[in-house]
Amino acid sequence: MPVSLSKGGNVSLTKEAPGLTAITVGLGWDARVTDGKAFDLDASVFICGEDGKVRSDADFVYYNNKTALGGAVQHMGDNLTGDGAGDDEQVKIDLSKVPEDVKKLVFAVTIHEAAARGQNFGQVSNAYMRVMNDAGGAELAKYDLSEDASTESAMIFGEIYRHNGEWKMKAIGAGFAGGLAPLATAHGVNVG
Amino acid sequence: MTILTPGANAPLPVGDLTVLIRHGAIPGAEIDVSAFLIGPNGKVRSDEDMCFYGQPSVAGGAVTLQGAANGETRFRVSPGRVPAGVEKVILTATIHENRAAFGRLPEIGLDAGGVIGKIPCAGMTETALILAELYPRNGAWKVRVVGQGFNGGLAALATHLGVEISDPAPAPAPAPKPAPAAAPRGPDLTRIPSVKPAAPAPAPKVNLSKVSLTKENRTVSLEKRTGRFGKIRVNLNWNQGKTGGVMKMFGPKPVDLDLGCFVEDRYGNRTCVQALGGGFGDYAYFPYAKLLGDDRTGAVTDGEWLEINGEMWAEFNRILIFAFIYDGVPNWAETDGVVRVMIPDQPEIEVRMNEHGSRERMCAIAMLENQGGAIRVSREVRFFPGHRVMDEHYGWGMRWQAGSK
Repeated sequence: MPVSLSKGGNVSLTKEAPGLTAITVGLGWDARVTDGKAFDLDASVFICGEDGKVRSDADFVYYNNKTALGGAVQHMGDNLTGDGAGDDEQVKIDLSKVPEDVKKLVFAVTIHEAAARGQNFGQVSNAYMRVMNDAGGAELAKYDLSEDASTESAMIFGEIYRHNGEWKMKAIGAGFAGGLAPLATAHGVNVG
Repeated sequence: MTILTPGANAPLPVGDLTVLIRHGAIPGAEIDVSAFLIGPNGKVRSDEDMCFYGQPSVAGGAVTLQGAANGETRFRVSPGRVPAGVEKVILTATIHENRAAFGRLPEIGLDAGGVIGKIPCAGMTETALILAELYPRNGAWKVRVVGQGFNGGLAALATHLGVEISDPAPAPAPAPKPAPAAAPRGPDLTRIPSVKPAAPAPAPKVNLSKVSLTKENRTVSLEKRTGRFGKIRVNLNWNQGKTGGVMKMFGPKPVDLDLGCFVEDRYGNRTCVQALGGGFGDYAYFPYAKLLGDDRTGAVTDGEWLEINGEMWAEFNRILIFAFIYDGVPNWAETDGVVRVMIPDQPEIEVRMNEHGSRERMCAIAMLENQGGAIRVSREVRFFPGHRVMDEHYGWGMRWQAGSK
């Protein structure tokens, strides 16, 4: 049984799946069913050190930089509409190859052209973040954050972090005003 | 106080709530605000889950439409009485017949038990909107402002909510010039009588002895040694909406069919029995045929009835039964009319109006002729632009002038 997290909650992935080495983080939401511009959501990952910031700009994984840590983190690509069952975006992480000085990976989702389209996360249904064990494919934890979403156009869904030698997932569900650029800046990325 | 915008949610006060939608008015277009109880699959569970002016109280009073006046629509919601299995109550606004888009309004305001929301409408092309949803979360009720909708109006919204709609509203029309003022709308919502939605027209009962007159099998003759047939009952029924006459009230005005007949007796006396002009006829005297009133409210679901005094069959020469579309666009395909002739101790005779390519207002359906004391029933299903042309076709020879009800 996967662990269902609510905002602020955390779970030890290592305890859920002893011997865990590789995971897939799935992010999903429902496609827009009403008329109007589709919701185009983009997932990003900030690979952070002890200070909660990226160690370099190469640690910012997004639609224009799909690979980091020498392939240990792989963004599987953008789904423009949210159509289809299952995850809309996936990030594969080989935990065994994540360097020791990486303390956490922060997963954020932003709405593309949110202001121009008048869109926010409160209008997106059934947004979630989940973690699957690549060995066997079992779902380990899931965080359904729809109710924690409101009028923000960028949200930190959750993070995968080290704690006492374990890998854990924490449900964040925090909105962030202004979209991807200020979110990236806040995580130490030099946005050009 | 925080004003919720689309996408935002907030807890509701405990207890019963007054929910007020402030939508204002769009000249030349009517705005209908409704509530729907939504089940776990995002759809209504049945037509009983729609709270609107035709059905102002649902779920035993859990949601009640209290009225609309001065650009405001007021609901009373008792969250504690919302039945299990309902995941949320959504509030919608639709523009009748898609006569305008919501972009004509500056904004729509919401007051749900003191929780205030606002939906900016500038630039909206939608003609149906989900305004807000009320839903339980961890044991307490919340409200979320939605402000999303459909350009296709009520029909698209109904599809989204799993409501079958028999008469989709027309495609969005160009917004009318704002010159004509909107027809004042009575505060008591009398546009549609607040009757319980009519049950769907009952499926024809299985009757093995029923005779269906078709193109291939056009006539039937019924004989009685006495020459007396008792009370002959003629029913005209038509498709008044698959959803029990609920959703069609939102849509275009349903077609109203009038039943009537031409009568010719053995002496050559001729007349027309029909509601138009008040010629309801008489059962005991010539023309020995009487219409049982004309229901225009849609509340009667079994159509229109005509009684013919079969005891006096010997007096008749012939009777032509017809249907007439008094107003509304003649669209026989939508009506799917059926005429049944019920004669005591005889198989029921059915004629279906299933050739409906015509845009004419009048349809001759069946002819009853006296053939040596027997009743010969023939299927006609011929379309005519009006009484005079039909009269001429059948050689009745009456005088015609325009009439009204």
